[in-house]
Amino acid sequence: MPDIRLPAEAKFKTELEALAAHDDKPRPPGWALSPRAVETYILGGSKPVGGVTITPKYVGDKGLIQVCIATLASDRALMLVGEPGTAKSWLSEHLSAAVSGTSALIVQGTAGTSEDHLKYSWNYALLLAQGPTPEALVPSPVLRAMRSGKFARFEEVTRTSPEIQDALISILSEKQVSIPELGEVVSAQRGFNLIATANTRDRGVNEMSAALKRRFNFVTVPVVEDLEQEIQIVTKREAELRNDYQVGVPPPEELSRILLTLFQELRKGVTKDGKTKVRTPGAVLSTAEAISVLFNSSILAEQFGGGKVTPHELAASLVGAVVKEQEDDVKALREYMETVAKGRTGAWKDLYSASKKLLRG
Amino acid sequence: MDLDLLSRVHLFPVRHHSPRTTAVLGRWLERVKPEVVLIEGPCDASDLIDVLCDAETKPPIALLGYRTDDTPGSALWPFADYSPEYAALRWAKVNRARALFIDIPVGVSLGMDRHDETAGVESEEVPEGERHEHLHDEEPLTERFAREQGYRSFEELWEALFEAPDWTPEGFRPVLLAWADVLNAGPRQDYHRWRDAFMARKVLEVVASGVAPEKVAVVAGAAHIAAFLARDVEPALEAKLPKAVPCAVTVIPYSFPRLSEQLGYGAGNRAPHFYQKAHEAQCDFRRATLEVLIDFAAHLRMRGFTASLSDVLEAYRLAMTLADLREKSAPGLDELREATVATLCRGDATHVDAFLWKSVVGHQVGRVASRIGKNSLQAEFWRELDTRRLPSTDSAETFTLRLNNTVEVGSSVFLHRLRVAGIPYATLAATGQQRASPQEAGGQAALTRVRESWQAQWTPSTDVALVEKIVLGDSLEAVTTRVLQEQLDAAKTTGAAADVLLESVITGCPQTMAAALRACDTHAATDVDLPSLASAARALSGLVAYGTSRAHTDVGDEAVAVLCQKTYSRALLRVRESCACAPDALPSVVEALRTLHEVALAQPLADKAGWLAEARELMDSSTVHPATSGLATGLLYLAHELNEAEVALIVGLRLSLAVAPDEGASWLEGFLGVNALVLVKNREVVKALDDFLTSIDPERFRQTLPVLRRALGVLGTTERRYLMENVVAVRQLGEKGRAVKTVLEEKDTAKLKDMSAELGKVLDDLDDLL
Repeated sequence: MPDIRLPAEAKFKTELEALAAHDDKPRPPGWALSPRAVETYILGGSKPVGGVTITPKYVGDKGLIQVCIATLASDRALMLVGEPGTAKSWLSEHLSAAVSGTSALIVQGTAGTSEDHLKYSWNYALLLAQGPTPEALVPSPVLRAMRSGKFARFEEVTRTSPEIQDALISILSEKQVSIPELGEVVSAQRGFNLIATANTRDRGVNEMSAALKRRFNFVTVPVVEDLEQEIQIVTKREAELRNDYQVGVPPPEELSRILLTLFQELRKGVTKDGKTKVRTPGAVLSTAEAISVLFNSSILAEQFGGGKVTPHELAASLVGAVVKEQEDDVKALREYMETVAKGRTGAWKDLYSASKKLLRG
Repeated sequence: MDLDLLSRVHLFPVRHHSPRTTAVLGRWLERVKPEVVLIEGPCDASDLIDVLCDAETKPPIALLGYRTDDTPGSALWPFADYSPEYAALRWAKVNRARALFIDIPVGVSLGMDRHDETAGVESEEVPEGERHEHLHDEEPLTERFAREQGYRSFEELWEALFEAPDWTPEGFRPVLLAWADVLNAGPRQDYHRWRDAFMARKVLEVVASGVAPEKVAVVAGAAHIAAFLARDVEPALEAKLPKAVPCAVTVIPYSFPRLSEQLGYGAGNRAPHFYQKAHEAQCDFRRATLEVLIDFAAHLRMRGFTASLSDVLEAYRLAMTLADLREKSAPGLDELREATVATLCRGDATHVDAFLWKSVVGHQVGRVASRIGKNSLQAEFWRELDTRRLPSTDSAETFTLRLNNTVEVGSSVFLHRLRVAGIPYATLAATGQQRASPQEAGGQAALTRVRESWQAQWTPSTDVALVEKIVLGDSLEAVTTRVLQEQLDAAKTTGAAADVLLESVITGCPQTMAAALRACDTHAATDVDLPSLASAARALSGLVAYGTSRAHTDVGDEAVAVLCQKTYSRALLRVRESCACAPDALPSVVEALRTLHEVALAQPLADKAGWLAEARELMDSSTVHPATSGLATGLLYLAHELNEAEVALIVGLRLSLAVAPDEGASWLEGFLGVNALVLVKNREVVKALDDFLTSIDPERFRQTLPVLRRALGVLGTTERRYLMENVVAVRQLGEKGRAVKTVLEEKDTAKLKDMSAELGKVLDDLDDLL
């Protein structure tokens, strides 16, 4: 059975190879590609490179990607911040894959992340048998990245405890980890850097210290505000998911448009024409959430529906996505349906009647 | 016209306000060493070149052309230190070459009716010499071109391709001309072609006067030079230029914020201060970037944010790497902004937008050499600003004047004169909770104020106005007097005349004050309009109370007092007939009655007894509008002229069955409009009301409902509660009410008990924990 999800470097292997083969620009030490080629890889190319079309991995501001790449070539680490679901981890994965050839050196930041995850731990059976030897050492992804001169990724920095954040400071400023048990100091090889992500909504959980912030350049990944752009992202990603999971039927374009119009209007609190105010629900209405709603409804249609995605399936997945925890969100969605969707034509009407049943009570 | 000769003179194309062009032009002039430098600029302003280049003059400055035929209209030609035209003027002065402007005269520029061309562009503010190129901005030719080249905006393209590279004159001329070809690709505006012809003739005239063409240099917009070189000049077109209108031209200070507001190819640029820094560093944009970043860090630290030297270094390095990545020779504003956000601002653009970006725009104001002979208004304005220490920069500042000493009263008079004269400089800011609207700035409100909060900001339009207003008088007092006199001439009622009177006092204009007093007197004799008379009476009463000290007048308060009495009595005479008015005039009449009442109680000179008698008449009258009777009743009750029993009696009469319900409701509206709280607290009054309401026939009730709703709508929550309490009492629902209360209270007690039980539990839990 094939893996359901391939890492970026495997999935886009041919693109990366083609870019590397035709890359005549200077590469920073330890980099697999030149900054220009990395940019092309992320944003897609207008013409094929060595016969391979470079697909866009991120749709949005070119300047933002350039700031990311320019940062990574320096001794500062990169911090991607933004609302949940704005493709921060996605961007971090692709940047590592393009520059270091691997996106696997990753630490997931949680409340339980310990210093072992950041530095090293031991294989205790070997440790007891042989004492502290290099073989008994279990290096962390960060340590492996330092040794091999690659990018490490650190997800959700603000979810880790202040102790861990402090440990990160020393790694980022000294660029080395000492292993006193072995009497050894591991220094980072050229090409090492770190890409961290943090949610703006989590800022309150464990606010980063000024000292840690100083080790990073910050790039805010924005919420997509352009409707056409978001439709493009969502339909593309949803098709990829269907392909990866081998399930679902393609949803019609009209429904994607309706879904994203609804998402953008609820997010902004006002309709596209600027005439009607709507209540913003507490749940996160990210692009990622829209992708999941669309994918979900396509599975619903295939498995339990008539083999075609209709407003009925869309409404069913939508309610689950928008109404997560708060009762108020039901009201917000119901209000939206009554004040906005009801008055519109086409599939909006069906969406309205389908959601009416679901939202009752 | 010998167009071949034209191509033998030295032609240098420029973009206005471009530091790189200026730097390259300097080197080119050194090489060419012309004896005459001809510059794109209004030819009748050539006399002012000496002033522009004076050691005392400091850009940003602007040539101001304005019409002198009483038609509003003016235009500005701004110059910054880094404008190539300005550099050419300076070069000529230093190298003893002759410098001349060769563009069409100011009067012709002003005479162009260009509404059809630049629809929606204000003719006052957009510099004439630059407005035409604005059009390219509206047709997004330049923007589209920039996007096709992979830039996010035209300004970015310009910086990357023209400003940042270290051009030589040989290299720069062709690229700028190539750019002009891009601009000229579409059909050129007729207006430019006419100007081409005019400028070409001017150049050839200089050559014809005996200067060798090799000794003449022409510095003009790239599009014009391109046309000269292509010999695409049609001399006959010059005849199409409109006739010159009467005008004058002078030099005024300009400012960086205004320069940054002018956008588009020819008009200005995004961040004058940044370009100024680059200009001072001989077009080293890296150095300018670093300087701005250091400024940013200082700004952030001043506001309490952390911004270390290492952040600055990192920002600078990031800007350089970005420029590298984008294949630019030096960072520009886009790199500067992105690097600042990523490092100094930790990914958050709010600080940049809120205050940092202002510092690359800058707020410098230029200075004009004293010998230009500022007109007397400008001189007075700047002198007052200096001695009174009022703000003189192009950024808004707020300050408060305490009107208890002559100095600050003097400042207030000065600012009010500017306001009345229509010279944009200061606006009265909101004091405390209430927002002052423009109408409130002067008049009665100003008279009673003990403190004034102003927000002032000098902008070039201040000087533009000062220059334009000189036709009205040669001192601020004279201009204000003239404006007020015009207002007085236009005043048709006593009220309007009294308003002018008040403004005269506030702005310290004794001449119009005397005239306005006379006008009040004359108008009052014939005025039949009660609202106008009432407001005049109030204004005069205010003057009697607060004095006319500001005006330093010899008219004296005595005259005001006499007039006040007179006007008040005249107003009283008009009360009854005015009150028999149509419904649409009612609001102003009601307002007038309130005013008269107010004045009667506050001003000992007013005929209080007379007013009370009038009010009683109104109260009893059945011919006047019922609302005015209601109002009079309410006012008399409040003034303790009626006792409770009397009021109840009248309410009963007015709201009896015999009276048509809509009239009753209307009366009620006037009655409750006074001070509803006092009225609904009176049980007798409420009883009469209650009886009236219950007595209305169901059929009629529906018809009366709208008026009733309006009448009772004025009641707030407190008034409604008193009303309900009294209704309950009147109907002897008290027993039931008490019962309800007890039930409610019992419920509350139960709730409290529950709560205390819970509280106890929580406390127990806490004990366990501890």
